[in-house]
Amino acid sequence: MREAGVIDEGQARRLHPGTIGISLLKNAPSTLIGLPAFLAFTSRGGWAWIIPVVIVATLVSALFTWLGWLRFTYRIMSDDVVIESGLLSRKRRSIPFDRIQDVSIERGPLARLFGLARVRLETGGGGDDEGDLDSVSMAEAQRLRATLRGERVTRMAMEGAEPEPVAAAEPIFAMSFGRVLFSGLFNFSLVWLAALFGALQYLDDFLGFSYRDLVRWAGLARDTVSDRVTFANIALLLIAAAFLGIFSGVLRTIARDFGFKLTHEQARFRRVRGLFTHSEVVVAERRIQLALVHTGWLRRLFGYQGVSFQTLGGSDDASGRQEMAPFADPREVLRVLNAAKIAAPDRAGLTQVSRGHVTRALIKNGAVPLIVIAGAGFAFPPAWLALLLMPVPLGIALLERRFHRYRLEAGRIVVARGVTAQRTWIVPTANVQAVSVTQGWLQRRLGLASVMIDTAGGSVLSGPHVIDVKRDEAWGLQRGLVERVA
Amino acid sequence: MDSPVDLVPLERGQLHVIRIQTAIQSAVLLVPAVIGDFALRERGVPMGAIAVPVLLLGLWSVFFAAHRRWRSWGYAFAGDELHVASGWWTRVHTVVPLGRVQHIDVTQGPVERPFAVAKLIVHTAGTANSIVVLPGILRETAEAMRDAIRVHIRGAPW
Repeated sequence: MREAGVIDEGQARRLHPGTIGISLLKNAPSTLIGLPAFLAFTSRGGWAWIIPVVIVATLVSALFTWLGWLRFTYRIMSDDVVIESGLLSRKRRSIPFDRIQDVSIERGPLARLFGLARVRLETGGGGDDEGDLDSVSMAEAQRLRATLRGERVTRMAMEGAEPEPVAAAEPIFAMSFGRVLFSGLFNFSLVWLAALFGALQYLDDFLGFSYRDLVRWAGLARDTVSDRVTFANIALLLIAAAFLGIFSGVLRTIARDFGFKLTHEQARFRRVRGLFTHSEVVVAERRIQLALVHTGWLRRLFGYQGVSFQTLGGSDDASGRQEMAPFADPREVLRVLNAAKIAAPDRAGLTQVSRGHVTRALIKNGAVPLIVIAGAGFAFPPAWLALLLMPVPLGIALLERRFHRYRLEAGRIVVARGVTAQRTWIVPTANVQAVSVTQGWLQRRLGLASVMIDTAGGSVLSGPHVIDVKRDEAWGLQRGLVERVA
Repeated sequence: MDSPVDLVPLERGQLHVIRIQTAIQSAVLLVPAVIGDFALRERGVPMGAIAVPVLLLGLWSVFFAAHRRWRSWGYAFAGDELHVASGWWTRVHTVVPLGRVQHIDVTQGPVERPFAVAKLIVHTAGTANSIVVLPGILRETAEAMRDAIRVHIRGAPW
């Protein structure tokens, strides 16, 4: 079952020499720009000897990078992958084939220039337990993946599991450029404004002005037009910020989702996306813990949803969730779910949580803003105008109960929650870890409880939790889940 | 909040352990309070304006709150599950199906040793409940539970 030209067992291999070049280029901003800037600042003049210093610094860092490259080797043995590294303290990491969940290939913009790729061997442990080969040539990366995958297939066959026949690699979900552009409109993001102001502050001395000057100019401008209605200025500012937010959201989405393609073959999903950093991620069906169908209130109006799988290990982002279809219409969502052998949830069949949820949501959404407005209002009377905005969070709180439903079925539990960010969790009961029933002080008064369903590879921030059901229902749900796990 | 199963309370020794730990925490808080007092003495603030409330709070937490916290704990170990309940303000009742346990530790810190109590630490593959701690049980009980749970630990199903 091994392909021709596969890697010889036990032979120690080094990373591609181009790695040194990439590493130097990546560190260039700090050695070539930062260091001279720092020296110029501290020594006041003497530009002549900056250049030799830069050359020496570059040579020294090149030397250490080369030494590090020299001492980094990896080998494919009969049962595991051995990675040895380290200049002074040698580190030997052995990753058994059985523990390798997937082999992902990443190509940053520099790596693509050189024709290299970064190979990551992802295990269930994550973090320290992973193998990271940064960088090898693209051909080598493909060979590594074929070998390691071939190993898995061999082992699966030895254990009696039949590998599925290779299906045609037709994508089950792909995003055209138009779709990516359209989806970017929904990813409003003002984070670039903050970055811009941060950059302005940093480049203070290089530019002729600073952001303090900008504020002063804005103040001068404001004073000169103070006769005219300042509402117009504020409105203009808000519109400008809105446009900037939309624009930056579109750019970010294009950079992240350009050329999005999801294929499914041999019980594995492969997702390819990215403009600058071309990332390729493989998710094995066996590793999928739950499916999450998510959408926003505006996206929903247009009929678009997103599908992610929560997997164990092998994650791009911290929460262990992989986006399989960020912006899809209902037909495509069904296709992705069916490919993972997950039946679509039937929204009508879900039951609502208790009425007390509205009370608690009102308090949660209303108390903090009210306190903030009251505090600001005593110091700055016009802040009371913000009370006009209060109906929004309060209205959302009133809807919370309608949008929070759940149902425990034969082999899975479906939980839907969220008014603005709407999430529907589909969790097979076999993947439920521990179940906690929690009761806060107010919940005790109202006779409610929340059921926190713990899953592997999840995030602490959001999960398939059922908030504010009647206490007996909570116990019943916990009992039902635990019984199905055993 | 009542529980679907009967919960066993922790050992009495754990109450003393909690008291000692709380006393240490309060003592640690007292140091910056006293320093703050000395610093503010020049400004005319009477001596002890910060330290006395902190001291009173510490005494209250050692003599009253510690007992309440000790009483709020409970556990049950039956069949295929481990129940751990705790919390006075927010009650949390966690059920760990034994088949979901990845590995187990039994630990006994220096404060716990003289009172003959130990801690059972159960690791699961979850995120919020990746570590479930059951403090304040006898060492023999903890080890018996550990051996019973070990039977249930299978290889990773994935």
